Amino acid sequence: MSKTKIIEAENLTKVYKGKVKAVDHISFQVEEGEIFGFLGPNGAGKTTTIKMLNTLASITEGRATVDGKDVSKNPAAVRDVIGVVPQELTADDELKGIENLLLSARLHHVPHGEAVKRAKDLLKLVDLENSAERRVKTYSGGMRRRLQLAIGLIHTPKILFLDEPTLGLDIQTRTNMWAYLSRLNKEQGITIFMTTHYLEEADSLCRRIAIIDHGAIKVSGSPSELKERLGGDILTMELDDGPDVTDFLKSIPDVSDVSQKDHVYRIKLPKAERALPAIVEGVTRQGLQIKEISFTKPTLDQVFLEITGKSMRDEDAGESDSVWQNVINERMR
Amino acid sequence: MLDETIALTNRALKKWIRSPATVLPGLFTAAFYLALFGNSFNPTNLIPTSAGGVPIPAAALAAAKAAILATTFGGAATYITYLTAGVICLIVVFNMSFGGIDLILDRQLGYFGTLLTSPIPRASIYFSGVLQNLVKAMFLGVLAFVIALLIPNGLVLTSSFGVLEFLGAFLAIGLLGLGLSCLFTAIALSVKTIDSLIAIVNFLNLPLIFMSNSLFPSSSFPGWLKSISDVNPISKADEAARILIVKGNPSPSGQLGTVVGDLLYLVGFVVVMGALGYLVARRALSPE
Repeated sequence: MSKTKIIEAENLTKVYKGKVKAVDHISFQVEEGEIFGFLGPNGAGKTTTIKMLNTLASITEGRATVDGKDVSKNPAAVRDVIGVVPQELTADDELKGIENLLLSARLHHVPHGEAVKRAKDLLKLVDLENSAERRVKTYSGGMRRRLQLAIGLIHTPKILFLDEPTLGLDIQTRTNMWAYLSRLNKEQGITIFMTTHYLEEADSLCRRIAIIDHGAIKVSGSPSELKERLGGDILTMELDDGPDVTDFLKSIPDVSDVSQKDHVYRIKLPKAERALPAIVEGVTRQGLQIKEISFTKPTLDQVFLEITGKSMRDEDAGESDSVWQNVINERMR
Repeated sequence: MLDETIALTNRALKKWIRSPATVLPGLFTAAFYLALFGNSFNPTNLIPTSAGGVPIPAAALAAAKAAILATTFGGAATYITYLTAGVICLIVVFNMSFGGIDLILDRQLGYFGTLLTSPIPRASIYFSGVLQNLVKAMFLGVLAFVIALLIPNGLVLTSSFGVLEFLGAFLAIGLLGLGLSCLFTAIALSVKTIDSLIAIVNFLNLPLIFMSNSLFPSSSFPGWLKSISDVNPISKADEAARILIVKGNPSPSGQLGTVVGDLLYLVGFVVVMGALGYLVARRALSPE
């Protein structure tokens, strides 16, 4: 039985000031309870898409529903069921961690007693229970990000929009954040719609991914499906001197391509785990010695490069240099 | 909507109180304005203390000063007594006009995005902006009143000045503040940068202040300037507050009608600015 589609976008289009087409007739669906990753280069249309879905931007053409509610016709109902964790660190510096949470709860009409309980639970979840009474200006960048996540969850939304949730965090804090998000998704069944620059983050967290470029979705699917598009894993095998076994290797089922130079074979195969025993056994049976063998799995970065013509790493260098980006960066320290 | 408006106002006031860098200048400004304007603009200082090398007797000097204050400055006991209402109005005008900076920062730092994706009425963002600036300005206004009382040769109240006169004076100033807050909050919600707000504020502030009777009586203005000053809401708030502060009970001097008329005018100003500001703010807060 197919799962409920909690977000549905149909020919979603956004044109700014009648000229700039930021999003161009995109269609996609997000199933209830999944983590959906939205990837793309800077200016591809990711944030505009999120803005349309969370009612911050109007829809020029097309239609979107969130939890069955039409975003254009019933934005207030959409706001009732969503939580938004923006890229910016918006928690108030001068307020305490707990005060930020309780304010957000009040704005989402959570009764005070219930809000206090939820705030305590969430602070525990994001490891901030000992810092709840401290003003946010004393928090580190990682603590602010975690608080931001807790603020987005205080009203127990059905759908959580995360815009670059781990931007600027060190690897340890980023890994912890992934763990929080996974727990939320598994334990509370919250649907998560996220954009990220970190492809390993998308790979590890997202059940499905869509890559958007120039306002259009270029490809979508599970991380493994997207990687399989590249034709599979690369097995690199170096043999002792001996006959060329290229033809033999090509004859093995699942091997899609073989190239050889100086007894080093590069073998392309859809599933290395499946073909590896047959390759090793066949080569050994021919009396050849394997000197070295390794295989690399295709990465989402390679997929991204193939789809957009850019590496996500190149994108990292292109962050905004605006004054407020500097302020945000300062807050992250 | 009321609960959201109060919640957002509380947030802004907490931030304000906890940030001495923003509160203290406000306190100093009140004292500074009174001391500075009270001395530099004081027309009684222009009376020569000697004539032809002969010192003018102190009693004659005092009589001349009293005559100037009685004829030109509405019978105020001191120039600061006359000035207090005007300085409080100035403090209100400046706080209202620059109060929108916090809203622009909220927008630039992404806090607005968080608010606009919350299930709150958009109007609560506007009204909380109006309310927070009003509370801040009124606090500083009351403080300026207290400082004026404490300054040597400062504010001198008559025996008929009581709670009602105090409330009446601050009602007039509060209505002015409310109307201006509606205007400037809407402007702050509409512009994208602090630079733009400052440019607009500078364009509006000085003409508004100098085309009013805040610092000097409009009776001494040329006709065209007086005509503008007479319809300037700052002049209306100033006139009502000044009558109550200088005279105390306005009935014996027959100025109750003027005070009531000024208050009604200011209510109209609030209604117009409130409606206009709300329309502008609604447009500014609608989806991109």
